[in-house]
Amino acid sequence: MGKAVGIDLGTSTSGVAAVIDGKPTPIPGPDGRLIQASVVSFLPDGSRVVGNAAKKMMIENAENTVYSAKRLIGRKFFSAEVKKAQAVSSFKIVEGPNQSVRIRIMERDYSVPEISAMVLMEMKKIAEAYLGEEVDKAVITVPAFFNDGQRQATKDAGVIAGLNVLRIINEPTAAALAYGFGKNLSQKISIYDFGGGTFDISILEIGQDVFEVISTAGDTYLGGDDFDDRLIDYFAERFMREHEVDIRGNRKALQKLKNAAEQAKIELSTKLEVNLSIPDIMQTDSGPLSLEYTLNRNYFGQMILDLIQRTFKVCDEALQNGHLTSGDINALILVGGPTKSPIIQDAVKNYFFKDPQANIDPELVVAIGAAIQASTLTEHKPGALLLDVTPMSLGIATAGGLMDTLLERNTPIPTESSRIFTTTHDNQTAVRIKIYQGEDKFYEKNELLGEFRLAEIPPAPKGEPKVEVTFEIDANGIVNVTAKDKDTGKAQSVQLTVSGGLSKEEIARLKKEHASGEEVAAFRPGASLPE
Amino acid sequence: MLDEKFKKEINSVSKVVDDLDYYQILKVDQMAFDEDIKKAYFEESRIYHPDKFFNEPAEIQDKVNKIFKRVCEAYKVLSDQDKRALYTKLISGPDRKKYLRFDLRLLKTETEKKEDEGTSPMAKKYYKMAKTAFQNKDYKAAKINLQLAVRVEPNNQTFQDKLKEVIDILEAKRAYKTPS
Repeated sequence: MGKAVGIDLGTSTSGVAAVIDGKPTPIPGPDGRLIQASVVSFLPDGSRVVGNAAKKMMIENAENTVYSAKRLIGRKFFSAEVKKAQAVSSFKIVEGPNQSVRIRIMERDYSVPEISAMVLMEMKKIAEAYLGEEVDKAVITVPAFFNDGQRQATKDAGVIAGLNVLRIINEPTAAALAYGFGKNLSQKISIYDFGGGTFDISILEIGQDVFEVISTAGDTYLGGDDFDDRLIDYFAERFMREHEVDIRGNRKALQKLKNAAEQAKIELSTKLEVNLSIPDIMQTDSGPLSLEYTLNRNYFGQMILDLIQRTFKVCDEALQNGHLTSGDINALILVGGPTKSPIIQDAVKNYFFKDPQANIDPELVVAIGAAIQASTLTEHKPGALLLDVTPMSLGIATAGGLMDTLLERNTPIPTESSRIFTTTHDNQTAVRIKIYQGEDKFYEKNELLGEFRLAEIPPAPKGEPKVEVTFEIDANGIVNVTAKDKDTGKAQSVQLTVSGGLSKEEIARLKKEHASGEEVAAFRPGASLPE
Repeated sequence: MLDEKFKKEINSVSKVVDDLDYYQILKVDQMAFDEDIKKAYFEESRIYHPDKFFNEPAEIQDKVNKIFKRVCEAYKVLSDQDKRALYTKLISGPDRKKYLRFDLRLLKTETEKKEDEGTSPMAKKYYKMAKTAFQNKDYKAAKINLQLAVRVEPNNQTFQDKLKEVIDILEAKRAYKTPS
């Protein structure tokens, strides 16, 4: 039997941790670093590189290097986020079957869960190398505000990577676990989780070994990457005013600027002013041009002020839903790389009137929490119990255009709700029902999760068949639908089509493909790269 | 491994859980304070949380899951003042059996019952016609009747809210029909 680990699968970085001799420990990669870039670079010889090594290839191998796949996971091809990614990504994003997203690399189309699976496999490898034993089980974290499709796709990625996904847990909940595990606390805490691509706020009550999520809210379209975008636009505009060329029109130059902007952002956490210098950023008819600018922290703070304020609107919502004010909060925990910035720290401090917990590394805390949960599940005596909630309401479409809400947001999970369906004309043998997630009263404005079909209904006059359909949200936050005949109690067949998702058959096939090493044959961890 | 006594308890609780009300599931009194309800939820979680049974056979996991889902449901309803008040009323009435499990639609019906159906006979008549039209999904007719009702009694909030809802629906329908 292999070992169980916790994996923080992030938008820009990922990490893996395990409980070793009773101590939750983040595990270093081949380069000695505790976090790895969530980047996969495909090389012309058919091999691929994952992690920090792959990130270095983003300029040289831009078209075949995939990053921020988490922004695309579980999304439909026509969603705003995918459109946005398509415009700014150096790799090709194409439409796959069932409105899904595919990434085209050297004439081959990869589903997003496959790319995430490659990152997960790298995490598995890192853990195996460090622990000296097989790793076959994992708890994987997702943003609290991920919907069913995004959770399902993350779980699929784990399966493709050859992992038994013990549980999908929410990042803020994992962070709370890392903070409060084994401390016997009685507190209300706030987890401010600003990741690379998503923002979540969760408010929890800890009662010794029980961790109850009181409310959660989030914005899956807001993250630290947005800071980079602001910087890129700012420097590109400045450059354009000076040289009358747009860096953003040249993929290679844009990638160089992107790397430099990210670096500048990180340096501004410790320095008050940074110099941005990219010699020969692009070639023009009149020779090579270089980019040379300085930026101070104060000005950067102004540039991203509105983005930070957007997070406080979400915090207001979470506090309100929990019938709390910021004064009720005993401890504040920051999660995610961007929260290392003093600009965010000061703003959050002012909002909560409280200093954040020191001694918690915002970049490692989620993986540590996931590792605790993984060991809790594989041991026979769990030391902590998570009581999480569903982040958005679940409902079905009604004929009038309104959404019939079955399970409200912030309902403790696991949970279920049933409805009885019937036929509208004689001898009808199938009924189609669409499921949505969201808060708008009109279903069309919410996210379509999928559609299910009640089939093989015995022929009868209209209105006579009574099929009881049960909608369950399990401990992973994933929706399951079952149906039975109300009168006979016999199970009724349900065919569920998740929009944009992979089918069971596809997942099994991909798992086999990746396990048999067809893709990983030439895998070289930490391969030396052409600089 | 679970001891036999506890296994038996899981067995019997999973069988009767459908016949229990939320107070019985959380083992609290109907007069319990909010804090007691939370405490009870934590206590029951310590007994039935699925994580404690993660390595047990599927058959036991299914039973525990069933119980724990009811525990969560009980907490959700009893920790919300409006839901709790309505639930307590319903399970204390003659249709107790029917209402043991709370349905969100009940809360909606309850709010609709409280609606002000107008004071003058004319307004009452228009509002009734609007409601019938609404039920038949004839939103245009509903809108006209509601506009008439509002004209007779301009200060009736129910009329105004309903009219707004109908206008919203009509607008939404129009928006979905026009290809973007």
